[in-house]
Amino acid sequence: MVSEIYTHKNMSPNSFANDGSLSGKRVVIQPNMSVRGWLCDAGSLALKGFVALEDATTVTRMRNAGVELVGSSRMSELGFGLAGDTATRILSGGEADIALVTDTMGEARVAAAGSGIFGFKPSFGIVSRFGLVGLVPSMECYGILGKRLEDMIDTLSVISGKDKDDPSMPDEGFPDFTAARKPLKMPCTAGVVKECFDILQDRERKAFRTGLARLEEAGLTIREVNLSDFDLFRVVHNIVASVEASSSAGKYDGVRYGHRSSSGKNWNDMYLNSRGESFGSLIKTFLYQGAYFQFENYPAFENACRNRRRLVRAVVDLLGHVDLLVFPTMRLGHDAEKAATINHIYDAFLLTLPANVTGQPSLHVPSLALHSEVDIGVQLIGLRLEDPRLLSIGLKLSSTAQGGSAA
Amino acid sequence: MKYEAVIGLEIHVQLNSATKLFCDCPNRPGDEPNRNTCPICLWLPGALPQLSQEAFEKATLACLTLNCTIQPESAFDQKVYYYPDLPKGFQLSQHHKPLARNGWVDIMGEDGRNKRLRIHHIHMEEDVAKLVHETEGKTPISLVDFNRAGTPLIEIVSEADLRSPHEAMEYVKTLRSQLRYTGSAECSLEQGTLRVDANISLRPRGTDELNTKVEVKNMNSIRNVGDAIAYEIIRQTNCLEKGEPILLHTRLWDPEKRVTSPMRGKFSGPCIPDPSVPKIVVSNDWLKEMQGRLPEMPGQKKERFLREYGLTPEEASNMSFERDLSEFFEAVVKQDIPPRKIAGWMTTYLVPALRDRNQTIRETLLTAERFTRLLSMLEKDIINAHAAKEVMLQLLSSEETPEEIVEKGGFHQVSDTTELEAFIDRIIAEHPSVVEDFRKGNTKVMGFLMGLAMKASQGKANPKLLKEILTKRLNPKP
Ligand SMILES: [Zn+2]
Repeated sequence: MVSEIYTHKNMSPNSFANDGSLSGKRVVIQPNMSVRGWLCDAGSLALKGFVALEDATTVTRMRNAGVELVGSSRMSELGFGLAGDTATRILSGGEADIALVTDTMGEARVAAAGSGIFGFKPSFGIVSRFGLVGLVPSMECYGILGKRLEDMIDTLSVISGKDKDDPSMPDEGFPDFTAARKPLKMPCTAGVVKECFDILQDRERKAFRTGLARLEEAGLTIREVNLSDFDLFRVVHNIVASVEASSSAGKYDGVRYGHRSSSGKNWNDMYLNSRGESFGSLIKTFLYQGAYFQFENYPAFENACRNRRRLVRAVVDLLGHVDLLVFPTMRLGHDAEKAATINHIYDAFLLTLPANVTGQPSLHVPSLALHSEVDIGVQLIGLRLEDPRLLSIGLKLSSTAQGGSAA
Repeated sequence: MKYEAVIGLEIHVQLNSATKLFCDCPNRPGDEPNRNTCPICLWLPGALPQLSQEAFEKATLACLTLNCTIQPESAFDQKVYYYPDLPKGFQLSQHHKPLARNGWVDIMGEDGRNKRLRIHHIHMEEDVAKLVHETEGKTPISLVDFNRAGTPLIEIVSEADLRSPHEAMEYVKTLRSQLRYTGSAECSLEQGTLRVDANISLRPRGTDELNTKVEVKNMNSIRNVGDAIAYEIIRQTNCLEKGEPILLHTRLWDPEKRVTSPMRGKFSGPCIPDPSVPKIVVSNDWLKEMQGRLPEMPGQKKERFLREYGLTPEEASNMSFERDLSEFFEAVVKQDIPPRKIAGWMTTYLVPALRDRNQTIRETLLTAERFTRLLSMLEKDIINAHAAKEVMLQLLSSEETPEEIVEKGGFHQVSDTTELEAFIDRIIAEHPSVVEDFRKGNTKVMGFLMGLAMKASQGKANPKLLKEILTKRLNPKP
């Protein structure tokens, strides 16, 4: 069944395993996560009518753990940005407990921030990408949204871990998510990046300071740290992600599936017309940018890759001095859902990009950074594979927040 | 002005691993179209490539036999181009970090001296799908067969060390022989499991200029590789002499017309690192294990054959050049037939027969054991050389024993003196003038008379006896 908020509504969501660790939990996914027999069009005309042939590893694992798959929400084209995403509406409407969304530049966290729920992006490489119709393989991952952090932790412990079908995953060293439930080891220091704080507007600063105060109340020590290359995250993400997107989307030719143009006198025309008619203007611009760096300005791409490695080193270095970094999640006046240009998109996701660029885990905690009804969110970033620790801090903070606001 | 050719070869070799490079589909491109496919090699959304260990090992053996250094770390890139045979939009290939670098092969130069030709690097890549154009019928259509999509290739890129068509042909032959020895590849130009692209430029002899090169493709035999390069050298020489510029482009060799003609260039794009296939890191232990798997190579084998079997250098190269034949040879040697006799027979009769039939020794029914029995009959004078050749040809496709074939075909050698004397007497009687010539001192006619006598015996006469009797009869006792 198709509706305004679902691309596929599962009419028989009963789970297979009634005694699994996620028994009875309702999960909504996106139509770029393969479920055999379900439409898998990644929100694009370019994949119109493409039906998945096999289940994604995450889907198999969730089903085996007793999840009820509610259906697929609507998603932005190819998972780039949040335009048209309905995952949070489904959660707010009480139709699901957990939503999985593709996180390429911070979609899960920013969407969560807009709806007062939790949003988490796990470390790169700990959740199998087998069956995920991706766009930016080196940055994207399954992002996870929910009202209850406990449900999210349980889901993560089910979907993470080595999968032989995704050889890009490491062989070992996966985080143990049960550790997230254990009390947080104190003391704990959180670093605030000065270069990020400096760009915030007055109202954002006020809200963020409230959030920092709540962190201190919970026993964390706040320290200012420097990340002089902070402004590079945006350009590095833009260049690398657009190049990868251009490469990944090269396969959408409208021949075996997807929209196929009826005009054109030879195959070259057929490709050009089909692709021209399939992609929306935002993704088209992004793909153009990627093609530009691939074909016309490759040195800029190489440079971006070098800078990316530098950024990873810088962040890892900072996380050697503090236990986590803390950023606001979203910015005021930059609505991610309405972003219509590449610049708008990067403005809206400016604060969530770093974790995607460096592959670090990142958690958005709601209801902390409040100022006169505005919640810009508190976003915690930890070292890669230290996901449980971040979640454990999240649990502690949410119990602190319970008193003030209904999470 | 005297010009010198500067030639570099890029050779694609299809590995013979059981599966494709990144999935478990059978590596059999010739099967019924689109039979050997799965979401990975159909390049469908959501699929992830998984490097085949076997293909990787075979690629490694190929690199090692060509004296390359396996790189401690290599990785795959996405080679971006758009063409209907590559609906993924990029080919996985090792552009920035190839599997191996700095190899060489030794060839015999035209001056008979050893020449070392360097290999720049060898990388792995996946093959693309095959397009089938159906132009007959109302609506011409193009079909895509994915059986070949994702099959494993290595590309061997030489340095521009080659200077002549001869060197190019010797390079391909030597390389093919080495690769076949490792058992990693079939290397047939005719069947397209080895494809040669040549980059050719000219420069004034004695300089080290680097001039615009022209790429020539589509040579489907070693001979054609030489001919296409020779043609291209003449074509470029003519251009330069007429003062026409050489333009960077690709030309196709037409084996029928024996000319090269320009082709429309395939649009080729950049290579970006692939984020999905993990980089390949090799350990020293693993590398040692791979080296241990290399068989004795043709060069080493030739030396051993010289030493152990007393073959001439030429015989030793002939017997060691192909692994199957060299093993066949050694199996027969063990049965106490003189090695030089075996080498002579194989070179003179067996190899040409295989060539005529377009078969390898394995594809025939001739085993070393059957060949040994045939040669022993020859040794024991049961049959003569002429008959042995006939029997050998039958052994290639008949399941009968050599003895049965000799029996049935009546190939027994005639060694009965009375019978032979009868043939000779008849011939002497029929050709009195020739006999007269001989007796006058023209001993050359002996051969003619021997031929007639052999023919009279239907080729079965024991040649030694026949000659003895003929000599006796022509020179009557004084
Ligand atoms: Zn396959």
